[in-house]
Amino acid sequence: MLQWSDRSPQQWREFVNQEVCVTARDQQRFEGRVFTVDPVSASVVLVSFLEHECPSVKVILGHAVTDVQILASGTEETERRMKSLFLPDRTQVLSKEELKSRRENLHLWLEKNRVPVTEDGDVLRVASVLTISAPYGTGDCSCANEIILARVQSLVESIPGTEHTSLS
Amino acid sequence: MKTPVSVLRLPRGPDPNSRGFDPNSPRFIALCPTTLSSSSSGRADEEEQRLRSDLRERFLRTLLSMTDKQVEFNMHEKVRVRARFGASDIDVLNFQVSDLETPLGVQREALLRSQDVISCSFEL
Repeated sequence: MLQWSDRSPQQWREFVNQEVCVTARDQQRFEGRVFTVDPVSASVVLVSFLEHECPSVKVILGHAVTDVQILASGTEETERRMKSLFLPDRTQVLSKEELKSRRENLHLWLEKNRVPVTEDGDVLRVASVLTISAPYGTGDCSCANEIILARVQSLVESIPGTEHTSLS
Repeated sequence: MKTPVSVLRLPRGPDPNSRGFDPNSPRFIALCPTTLSSSSSGRADEEEQRLRSDLRERFLRTLLSMTDKQVEFNMHEKVRVRARFGASDIDVLNFQVSDLETPLGVQREALLRSQDVISCSFEL
């Protein structure tokens, strides 16, 4: 078998989501589930879920890895659990009525601030250059002009009322 | 252990004459087109590239979740130091950290060479 850092991405991919034991150069052993192997440095990222403790993550640098042994394979459930730790949590789903009321509140707030805004189906269009899509948060504004974007974003952020929850 | 110490040595800055990437960096040499085998088909390259980007994206997300967290660095000769992780460079050759706790005191800002680090661990 080739040295760890010389293996191909396909070979590294085989280890993802498996429970492994990584042996490092100074004979230390690390156990955990592989989240990823960095293709640039061959570093292994291990995740361990311990009872009654926060999940811990270990990154073992590629140059220090001497051996990786698979202890147990993972399932879709373990993959999903790992992914949820790192990937942004966009699971807050708002109902149609909530989205409608958010949109209308934002529409009124922008008009109050003398910003020309029209509703176009599910999105709000500001001066026909900026679009605000659901769920109408600060991160949902898109515009080609930086200055207009910044101005409108600060307005959206400062909307009074129950809009203080961040959705991003 | 908590008294900050004055800077002992400034790190080397980026090369002022280049455009930013270093043709002698290990990454460039490893991925330089002249070293890729010419016999592999286009389809296999695409698949490999897709795997590489998938693995790299996950790694970048790991680094992202590591920022501003207390990280323990496991280095050679059983040296363990704690610091607040700042950033890594593109080739994962250096780590920028803050409040590095060393036996000499707390270094407010420091650069760790990744060749000196064996592993780092943190809690989410």
